[in-house]
Amino acid sequence: MRKFKENLSGRIFFILALSSISALALITVFIFIKGVPFIAEVGLFNFLFGSSWAPDHGEYGILPMIAGTFIVTFGAALIGIPIALCCAVFLAEIAPAWLRNLFRPAIQLLAGIPSVVYGFWGLVFIVPFIMNHFGGPGVGILAASIILGIMILPTVISISEVSILALPRQYKEGALALGLTHWQTIRSVILPSAKSGIVAAVILGIGRAVGETMAVIMIVGNAPAMPRSILDPVRTLTTNIGLEMNYASGLHEKALFATGIVLFIIIMILNASAQYFTRKRSF
Amino acid sequence: MRSKRLTILSAALIMLLSACGRENSASVIIAGSTSVHPYAELLAEEYYRLPHGMMVDVQGGGSSAGIMQVENGIADIGMSSRSLKENEQHLWQIEIAKDGLAIILHPSNSVDNLTKDQIRGIYAAEITNWSQVGGADKAIHIIAREDGSGTRSAFEELVMAGSRITPRAIIQSSNGAVRQLVSGNPSSIGFISLGMVDEGEKPVKAIAIEGAAATAENVANGSYGLFRSFLFVTKAEPEGSVKEFIDYVLSPDGQRHLLHEGLIGGAAG
Amino acid sequence: MDAKIKTQSLNLFYGDFHALGDITFDIPAHAITAIIGPSGCGKSTLLRVFNRMNDLIPICRVEGEVFLNGEPVNRADTDVVALRQKVGMVFQKPNVFPMSIYDNIVMGPRHQGVKNKGKLMEIVERSLRQVAMWDEVKDMLKKPGQSIATGQQQRLCIARALAVEPEVLLMDESCSALDPESTMKIEELMVELAQKHTIITVTHNMEQAARVSDMSAFMMIDEHHVGRLHEYSKTDEMFLNPRDKLTEDYITGRFG
Repeated sequence: MRKFKENLSGRIFFILALSSISALALITVFIFIKGVPFIAEVGLFNFLFGSSWAPDHGEYGILPMIAGTFIVTFGAALIGIPIALCCAVFLAEIAPAWLRNLFRPAIQLLAGIPSVVYGFWGLVFIVPFIMNHFGGPGVGILAASIILGIMILPTVISISEVSILALPRQYKEGALALGLTHWQTIRSVILPSAKSGIVAAVILGIGRAVGETMAVIMIVGNAPAMPRSILDPVRTLTTNIGLEMNYASGLHEKALFATGIVLFIIIMILNASAQYFTRKRSF
Repeated sequence: MRSKRLTILSAALIMLLSACGRENSASVIIAGSTSVHPYAELLAEEYYRLPHGMMVDVQGGGSSAGIMQVENGIADIGMSSRSLKENEQHLWQIEIAKDGLAIILHPSNSVDNLTKDQIRGIYAAEITNWSQVGGADKAIHIIAREDGSGTRSAFEELVMAGSRITPRAIIQSSNGAVRQLVSGNPSSIGFISLGMVDEGEKPVKAIAIEGAAATAENVANGSYGLFRSFLFVTKAEPEGSVKEFIDYVLSPDGQRHLLHEGLIGGAAG
Repeated sequence: MDAKIKTQSLNLFYGDFHALGDITFDIPAHAITAIIGPSGCGKSTLLRVFNRMNDLIPICRVEGEVFLNGEPVNRADTDVVALRQKVGMVFQKPNVFPMSIYDNIVMGPRHQGVKNKGKLMEIVERSLRQVAMWDEVKDMLKKPGQSIATGQQQRLCIARALAVEPEVLLMDESCSALDPESTMKIEELMVELAQKHTIITVTHNMEQAARVSDMSAFMMIDEHHVGRLHEYSKTDEMFLNPRDKLTEDYITGRFG
């Protein structure tokens, strides 16, 4: 009887685990089934490198959106990553315990804010600020990069901090015993030793930025054209799908699934690199 | 062996259950144009107050989305602020009202009047600075709606005359969002439903088109040329509770509510 | 023999806990001094006073005087970084940094301002020769320091500590994690280094203390669990003629 119960619980866990993976499988199969025939019909080159997206006129080039995703993500990384790393070092090495206990929940709270609230705040605060101080319509690359930069902070900070804290204390002791100051120890021993964890943190933060849709739709301008400055409105791969999925049909709908395939591949590459870097530990 | 089969069967069952569709409820579901949305909501509220009135559920999503949902059986009635395309002509449609299309600017913009051709030139990015149409020396920030918007289709039909709206236009996905952006940006231009011009915290200015001010009267007497039909669309000739609601909308009572809100009478009015 | 390091009424507290009580003794230059005693009596704690590593523990408080070359080093205004460059440390387990052998050794000198590649290479060679490792690793200086055997890693740590040319080398049970052969190599090294440096070593290993050290400091906890210096004398004398029954019992292995 006990053996039967053991077997049963094992099987139940297996089925539950299977159902979560089945969701992944369903989504993957779905987007490929819908998207691949589209790519076959329109041509991969025209799709990826065409610079005009006008489904009503039969044009399905997503180059402006690929550019939009890259530029906005790059901007988010430029803004968010230095701040996140400084925060992680501060929390792990410099802050006294009472300050740490204040900061950490605050950062977790940042992670819990829904993306639509970020977008709304961006629209009401960041967009007019940019318009009045930098020019342009306010919505565009700069606004999206700022909001995304803030949104990726919790991810990058927490994983970097954990990587630093996971280092053996002996590295720090050894460096100090050689006559290095605290700052020199952080710069020359701690950060290089935590490198693989920090790189993984950065990559995961970038992945978050690439996949964000709701906050970005509200403040990025959504113009499907190649931008000429950071104040220009632009469209990303995710906002393209988000804007048009409600009413797209036929070839247009398949084009959106094909866009989904492109996003899927980008995220797979990012996740694989993050895995590679975390495995490549230098202890 | 037997337990293995049972496991696989249960797994398949879980996947199947996750693919099941929705169940039907008693109320009428309406979806579509963000221009028609506020009026449909108002009518739904009034309808519910009637002695035999039932729940009518109104959702947005844009004209094309609404029409698609009617095709798929997800919505009972689709709202559209544009005319039906060729491949949609098999659906049943009725005009419930006419709505003016307003071209809006920030109140601080010195421009008060434009010709249709000037507006076309602006949206086609041929005219890029306000000084070219009598305003200040500032770049024009163009705001438009998404492709599936009935308002956008109406605009393209009435104003663009075959030219394409520039891909550099900022896209927002509802009347409200367009209005909000214009109300905060002194260099912007946008197009929204005439009935929405006064709905919002900060003011926007609806300009005159070729001398005719943007008012419901001018739409009714034909001097303001930019207007479109609001349509209710169903998959087939409406029956039952759907027919009852549509009859109410077309009745003098229903039309009175719409006229009160600034629309112009529909096919029955 | 002149005193390299001198303590005077040294008392150490962890918060309210009195860990080291009234320790006064002189450590001679160019000699090996062993600190011995049972576990928990404060040997490592005492060792860490000499390079102010206890500063890392916020609740740790040190009272009394410590002198290096006659200069006080236990003051609030002491330049701790400069002190640590003069008093180096090798830890119980090798703590080679996760970088190349070369980068490990130049870590200290680089931060002292040496930038010239040629000069750095000289330092690397000199340090590795001092620990008799140059021939073994000279062709693989760019390899990760953690890829070599544990015994070699510990000698690398010693080389790294020697690269900044300290006057004193503190060794905190540095052989306890090593096999007998590596231990022997390091003991030979200690004797060699003692010609130009002052070595203070904490060890559990009685035979090792007897073999290599010139002076022995035997520590014990008293009835209040305070660590005290029970007996301090030349190693030969202490082992042949322990002054005290307690010392004799410890040395002969009756406890500890």
